[in-house]
Amino acid sequence: MIEVLRAGLCDLVMDQGRPGYGALGVPAGGAADPLALAAANRLVGNDSRAAGLEVTLTGPVLHFPAGGVVALAGARFSVTRSSGAAVPWNAPLILAAGESLMLGRAEAGCRCWLAVRGGITVPLVMGSRSTFLPAGFGGYQGRRLQAGDRLPTGEGAAEVSGGRVTGPAARPDSMALRVIAGPQADHFDDAGLTALFCTPYRVRAASDRRGLRLQGATATHRRSALPSQGVMPGAIQVPPDGQPIILGWDGPVTGGYPVIAGVIAADWPRLAQLQPGDTVRFATISVDAAQALAVAASSIGE
Amino acid sequence: MTQDFDNPYAGLSPQRTGQPAAVIWRWVSERGVRLETGEATLARYTALAGGEWPEIEDIIPADGNVLLILRRGAVMSAALRLALSQDAVSRPASSGTLHQITVEYGGAAGLDLDELAQQAGMDRATYIHSHSAVEYRVAFLGFQPGFPYLRGLPAALHAPRRASPRVRVAAGSVAIGGGYCGIYPVSGPGGWNLVGRVDVSVFDPQRAGPALLLPGDRVRFVAA
Repeated sequence: MIEVLRAGLCDLVMDQGRPGYGALGVPAGGAADPLALAAANRLVGNDSRAAGLEVTLTGPVLHFPAGGVVALAGARFSVTRSSGAAVPWNAPLILAAGESLMLGRAEAGCRCWLAVRGGITVPLVMGSRSTFLPAGFGGYQGRRLQAGDRLPTGEGAAEVSGGRVTGPAARPDSMALRVIAGPQADHFDDAGLTALFCTPYRVRAASDRRGLRLQGATATHRRSALPSQGVMPGAIQVPPDGQPIILGWDGPVTGGYPVIAGVIAADWPRLAQLQPGDTVRFATISVDAAQALAVAASSIGE
Repeated sequence: MTQDFDNPYAGLSPQRTGQPAAVIWRWVSERGVRLETGEATLARYTALAGGEWPEIEDIIPADGNVLLILRRGAVMSAALRLALSQDAVSRPASSGTLHQITVEYGGAAGLDLDELAQQAGMDRATYIHSHSAVEYRVAFLGFQPGFPYLRGLPAALHAPRRASPRVRVAAGSVAIGGGYCGIYPVSGPGGWNLVGRVDVSVFDPQRAGPALLLPGDRVRFVAA
């Protein structure tokens, strides 16, 4: 059991998500960087699919009455433990009974993942323990954590891995997000395409797991009413105001705005680390090249 | 750029030829394939959903198109490309589960009904009769989990979305947005015109079948 002494900004129970329900209007959701959570799980001897915590910008203070084995992966946060000992990243960490782990602010990036040996054993909802905030189900009572919450954890079965796991090498933040031209790229005039592909955009504060709202040059397009179409994480929608939205993990499954481009899957983990105020640029890549990158990334994660 | 097949500026205008033998498709990202399915959307969705495609993680039907989401690291197989090159056979219109759903029309349950009836040049009873006399078909679900987009709304009842969305629409509200009828699964903001409310839960993630209505299902509304 883990007791939440103080909640972070948005602590969510997450696993690898619930893909396959798009036709019911439910997105796959799950950890914003599923490979980072899977790596943390393996460090504590869990199945990759076990549920852990996704922590955003500011983390929680967690108390472990019976101790536990945890691992942190993803963006580095300031972190201390009640014993005063060092807290390594990407390595198993053994907490004594009664110890607390105090996560502070993200030092770079936006999100990290905490795995605990045995996993967080909240009930499965539609095959997953991931929180889906927009509809308030899954995870811990369908919501972000609050002080006083008690998270159930399972029995650890496997041996704890002694080694460290390094995730896929992160591309420097300064490099452009790689995109494939989207199904409505032809709805945009040259000025609109130039705006998106040649000018920087800033991540607005009104961004969350549903979407990253951008601010920058107006991506002008023909404002014809568009029949609803299926959309997915990474799809860049442009509403009538011309300010793009990169759809996130908990975004709607259908949308009515033109999709100018789609961020390739290999760069979705970078979307997870963008925070308000960050600057992003886009660069096109071929589908073949993107698929080769995706194959390489998933082989690192297994 | 050296790509040709996926050149973003090549072949941007799909030919609208009704039901082409080979479905036209476009990339959304390297894990997303948008199929142009037109009137054959439900048929194509049903055919794909009934198949075994190890590379497909999800299939999302929408308004004249279907999105295939490929699994991480997967590519489209030759078998899938072959299936997409063939016609999807439409199911008979009578297929799909028929749901009879009781609606409390008007009043607090349907705040916009009187105004809509007036705009349609009908009295209240005629409007309710028009809305409940037809059989609807679930075209797809979206916007929120379990929100059905129902086809079959009589043309006289089509009504544009409200200029400013309501902050809160009650769960179960039956609403009209353009040519579609829908049902709000949960309470929340909404911009469609409210005509009534159902007494059944259209979406419950804890239920074995979370969504009451599935693509292709049929719906008849019964005035309470």
